[in-house]
Amino acid sequence: MSTDYNAMSDADFRAMVRAFVEAEYPADLPRYALHRLHWSEVKPWYLRLSARGWICPTWPRAYGGMELTAGKHLIYIDEMERHGCARVNDIGPVMLGPLLIKHGTEAQRARFLPRILSGEDIWAQGYSEPGAGSDLAAVRCEAVRDGDDWVITGQKTWTTLGMDANWIFILARTDKTVKKQAGISFLLVPMDAPGVTIRPILNLERDAEFCEVFFDAVRVPADHIVGAVNDGWTIAKALLGHERVFIGAPRLSASALARLRLQARAGGIWHDPAFRDRYVTLACEVEDLADLFETYVDALRDGRPIGADVAMLKICQSELYQRISDLGLEIAAETAGLGEPPDGDIRLHAAATWLSARPTTIFGGSTEVLRNMLAKAVLDLPS
Amino acid sequence: MDGAMQEDWVENARMIVDSARAIVPADGSLDRVRRLRAKGAGFERDVMAQAGALGLFLMRVGEEAGGLGLGLRETCELARVLGGGLVPEPILSTILAGRLLQGALPETVAAGEAVMLTAWQDAPRSLDWQGGLGGGRLSGRKVAIPGAEGADLFAVTTAAGVAVVPADAPGLTVTAEPTLDGGRLGTVAFDGVEAELLPCPDIGAAIGEAGLVHCAYLLGLSERALAITLDYLRVREQFGRPIGSFQALQHRATEMKIEVELARAAIFATARRLDTGTGGDAARRGIARCRLRASSSTMRVVREAIQMHGAMGITDEADIGLFVCKAMVETGFFGGAALQRRILSDLLDQGDAA
Ligand SMILES: Cc1cc2nc3c(=O)[nH]c(=O)nc-3n(C[C@H](O)[C@H](O)[C@H](O)COP(=O)(O)OP(=O)(O)OC[C@H]3O[C@@H](n4cnc5c(N)ncnc54)[C@H](O)[C@@H]3O)c2cc1C
Repeated sequence: MSTDYNAMSDADFRAMVRAFVEAEYPADLPRYALHRLHWSEVKPWYLRLSARGWICPTWPRAYGGMELTAGKHLIYIDEMERHGCARVNDIGPVMLGPLLIKHGTEAQRARFLPRILSGEDIWAQGYSEPGAGSDLAAVRCEAVRDGDDWVITGQKTWTTLGMDANWIFILARTDKTVKKQAGISFLLVPMDAPGVTIRPILNLERDAEFCEVFFDAVRVPADHIVGAVNDGWTIAKALLGHERVFIGAPRLSASALARLRLQARAGGIWHDPAFRDRYVTLACEVEDLADLFETYVDALRDGRPIGADVAMLKICQSELYQRISDLGLEIAAETAGLGEPPDGDIRLHAAATWLSARPTTIFGGSTEVLRNMLAKAVLDLPS
Repeated sequence: MDGAMQEDWVENARMIVDSARAIVPADGSLDRVRRLRAKGAGFERDVMAQAGALGLFLMRVGEEAGGLGLGLRETCELARVLGGGLVPEPILSTILAGRLLQGALPETVAAGEAVMLTAWQDAPRSLDWQGGLGGGRLSGRKVAIPGAEGADLFAVTTAAGVAVVPADAPGLTVTAEPTLDGGRLGTVAFDGVEAELLPCPDIGAAIGEAGLVHCAYLLGLSERALAITLDYLRVREQFGRPIGSFQALQHRATEMKIEVELARAAIFATARRLDTGTGGDAARRGIARCRLRASSSTMRVVREAIQMHGAMGITDEADIGLFVCKAMVETGFFGGAALQRRILSDLLDQGDAA
């Protein structure tokens, strides 16, 4: 079996990750990129991580992961961030793998996990639909049982890097007669199956980062369902638990703050007292967020359950990230809308930071929906 | 102010706005704006010609100099309409050239046959316009000029007056960088360019006025972005109801409206004061306040617009994105918010300051 990284001291582990990243991160891959890179670009990096056995830091070692504790995982993420490593197509490692480990059959694990580890399968997440965004349980994409197959018809949208994926997992309606949450199943669909078509959607930077996926009587075998029929909602929800903590990690805000500092120095206003006043306020907020984050990491470390209140962390982090990026755009003044980074340094590109901060309050539970949820689940306010 | 004057400007503004409708489609279509993105200099000469034919470039040229002699309120109403349509043509830059040159504005420019843009700004994050001279010739550079590559002529501000130079003058180079709205932001560099300088007694004031007029462009942009967002709140349904029925969003939409109304009130009150004799520090203070308000309200509106559109708000295909990108590009023009705060704080202890 593979190395027990958790037996290492934090310092040794950090040094090891750093050395690997510095030696192995492909020289021709962008660093500190804010936009998502496509598989054709990040594949070499994925494969190097894969070859080292590091592509799935959280999976159990028995399934080919590093089985890192929360603390070690943070160090791992930290070092990737520090070097500015591009994010890989990580839906398989981050979402589907853990979900199969928890809810899949042994046959599904044996079939799909190795292919995620090796990079043979790239997964996309097919939850949202045109009519089912915040109200995800309203999904209408339908799966009907026909003999030994599921026949899928409908549409998914906002599928991040769907054009790079050869598999997609979807939430599909399998019972229209019950409460909407109770009639949803979790299905695995190959993107090259007959009847699947995709249409790229351009974002504000006119990059095709996400796409629409259409299913026209697409057939998948009956064993491509995860968990029980009509149990998809529960499974999909369970996944959110621990991941939410990591979405709330202060690193996006902290790196935006670091970029703001670089930008202020480059723009000659780093010593401007009015700027400093605002910078210091934001810097304190980042530290407060980091402290709040620690309380959740401690809970994970001690194996305590993470409650609905973790949504506060996500709200704080995403809104702070946006406010930092707002100041960056403001100090850029006349140069704020330039399409290309000044001097080719992406870290000085206020517009890119600003744009990349926008979706963080929309996906993973919009801040409005999370606030609604907190008001009920945490503050116990009436409906 | 007497009633007749009041009515005068309202009537004038109505005529100007009506004529601008020839440029801004009445049905609100943004197809032309979309089509022009990332093409050439970022604007259409035909539309500049149309604006010239409508007399828009003579708005700020005095009647005694053969112009229309209209005020800032009328010009702001025009800019507001242009902003609502995200019109990419640098019409306001040419109006500023007319304001600076008065009777010396070339007839071909006034008629819209030649495109003249104003090159005034010495550096980003500043309102300095006096640079650009060296040894009796134009030298140095002027920045932040949208559409610069499409100009035939530049009106260049210097400490010794305004120079009119053809874009192909020896020693003059135009460079430009793409912007997120699909336009191009230019810099004009001069290497000993020969030019005749025309005297202009109040260049600084004219640039200040242009900054105010540009606030009205941002106002028009925000008003339309708000309207589009409100429409979306009415039609987009989640949880079986229009999302506009959720109080969390209603309150924030109301805040957006209040911001926009404050901007409108500040801009038109300042325009009125300037039209009726306010000048000097009081004018500078009013303009800086409007720039701050217009930039904060514009950015607030587009931030909320994205959020309320959900994922749709960050797509290229939804019209709201055109407003977001234009706001990102133009909100920081005329020095940016930090500079306005500095101007206001410098004026705090001056004379009649509040
Ligand atoms: C960059 C990006 C990548 C994405 N990637 C994926 C992906 O890979 N796979 C996938 O399945 N999905 C993906 N999504 C979709 C994402 O999950 C949805 O955008 C999200 O669920 C919100 O849905 P919506 O966009 O339809 O907005 P809507 O639900 O239409 O919301 C519009 C606005 O209304 C507000 N609102 C809605 N309901 C309420 C309420 N009850 N009270 C108050 N306010 C409310 C929202 O907060 C929002 O401000 C992605 C989205 C983005 C932006």
